[in-house]
Amino acid sequence: MNHKLELRNVTKTFNTEGGEMEALEDINLEVKPNEFLCIIGPSGCGKTTLLRLIAGLDYPNSGEIILDGKEVIGPSPDRGMVFQEFSLFPWRTVLKNVEFGLKIRGMKDKARREIAEKYIELVGLREFENCYPYELSGGMKQRVAIARALATEPAILLMDEPFGSVDAQTRNILQEELLEIWKRTKKTVLFVTHSVDEAVYLADRVAVMSARPGCLVKCLGIDIPRPRKRTSMEVNEFREKLLMLLSLERSKACIKP
Amino acid sequence: MRLPTKEKGLWLVPLAIALLLWEFIAWYVIRDPLILPRFSTVIFSIYILRELVIPDILTSLLHFGIGLALAFSAALPLAIGMGWFRNVFKAIDPIIEILRPIPPLAWIPVAILWIGLTHSAAGFIIFIGAFFPILIDSYTGFRDVPKVLVETGKVLGCIGDKKLIKYVAFPYALPSIATGTRVGMGVGWMCVVAAEMFGVGNYGLGFRLFQDFYFLHQMDYVIAYMLILGLVALCVDRVFRYFVEEKLLKWKKGIVK
Ligand SMILES: Nc1ncnc2c1ncn2[C@@H]1O[C@H](COP(=O)(O)OP(=O)(O)OP(=O)(O)O)[C@@H](O)[C@H]1O
Ligand SMILES: [Mg+2]
Repeated sequence: MNHKLELRNVTKTFNTEGGEMEALEDINLEVKPNEFLCIIGPSGCGKTTLLRLIAGLDYPNSGEIILDGKEVIGPSPDRGMVFQEFSLFPWRTVLKNVEFGLKIRGMKDKARREIAEKYIELVGLREFENCYPYELSGGMKQRVAIARALATEPAILLMDEPFGSVDAQTRNILQEELLEIWKRTKKTVLFVTHSVDEAVYLADRVAVMSARPGCLVKCLGIDIPRPRKRTSMEVNEFREKLLMLLSLERSKACIKP
Repeated sequence: MRLPTKEKGLWLVPLAIALLLWEFIAWYVIRDPLILPRFSTVIFSIYILRELVIPDILTSLLHFGIGLALAFSAALPLAIGMGWFRNVFKAIDPIIEILRPIPPLAWIPVAILWIGLTHSAAGFIIFIGAFFPILIDSYTGFRDVPKVLVETGKVLGCIGDKKLIKYVAFPYALPSIATGTRVGMGVGWMCVVAAEMFGVGNYGLGFRLFQDFYFLHQMDYVIAYMLILGLVALCVDRVFRYFVEEKLLKWKKGIVK
């Protein structure tokens, strides 16, 4: 049993006005410690739902989610989450946002400030620690959210398209920063994206999902050594492979009623 | 209110024109101090009445203070309950909606019968006026906390409603509470005159207006007191805005202004 996280036959259905909606069907997934796993799939295939289940913010209808040998029953600071939408507390400065989890834990002022500053430094926002979120750009906000998720030292980091709303250049920089942090902090990362480029650049392994109902189609290991060159032959090969898989899924989804 | 220096005195010109116009019309057009006394006469009356003005203002502020303190301390817990717990809202909202349209003045007989002719009776009328705006705006604030902020709180360790309310919902709702309080203060002040009309004491701006001046047909005194009513409310509002908006809600600046 050397899995960090294990999902067994997880299904999730939503009761909507139009009847039952099967968002996730029979998901089986194993994640190793210190692994960087990207989850990719078309919009609406249940990526966010999957992360929310792992975070403990929602419950599967059947199946189980096992983290470090224990079943997940609710949210906890040992799973950090970076949300798809902006999630900073607007009434708290950058520093206070990053300190939040530590404050809830009951840590003393000085100790938590020290830790928070370390992570703010890590995401390169030292000069902005006393700014309010409205004074930050979109990319900076997401970096603060990452620092905040890291500050409680979670064993596993769940990231839901954290760079979805930033421009391509900033995105590349943030990706590099994230890899750097990941290398330094030895976390297990589940990273949702719908960018093939991002997945191939970041991941040890890519899990491909398909829509309606959302299920895992295939896991693809990427064994290109880092730092990867975005335009190298090998990277392109993987990109090609992934794109093929995705378009295959899309065409299948079209045939389905 | 951060006006560029050039525009800072802008309000002075229209004000001066209005006052001059008043003086001119009263003097040359109306020529009857029983209908419209001159501005200069009114100012002089304030000087004549100086012995009364201060105790009257203080008494009115006492009534206002009683009413507002009551309204705030009753409305806030109720707002938390109604805004945060859907069932509490469903249970209590009908009662609120029946009571809310009853004009504060309609409560005067009840106040006299229940409380007698005391300061508290006047406070009660002001309480009725201020309570509903504070309640409605505040529970709206608690109700509209974005889901992503609540979930962020949960993921970072806020387990249970108490922590979520304290660390997420309350700070989020603070601007709404402030707006509600400001509106409530406005309505409450309007009730001051009515609340003092029925003679709860021998002082008070409203008391003086109706018991002394009106029956003596002292139009200049009446208008002097009307001006004082306006000025005191303006000062109270400015002080409130200064403390709340400049100190407490600094983080809102980017969103509102
Ligand atoms: N609370 C909910 N109630 C009902 N249906 C929901 C709920 N949350 C998600 N869904 C549905 O579940 C499906 C998967 O949603 P999810 O948000 O997980 O997609 P996603 O893969 O994250 O998409 P995107 O890439 O656009 O973020 C969607 O069809 C959505 O309509
Ligand atoms: Mg999503």
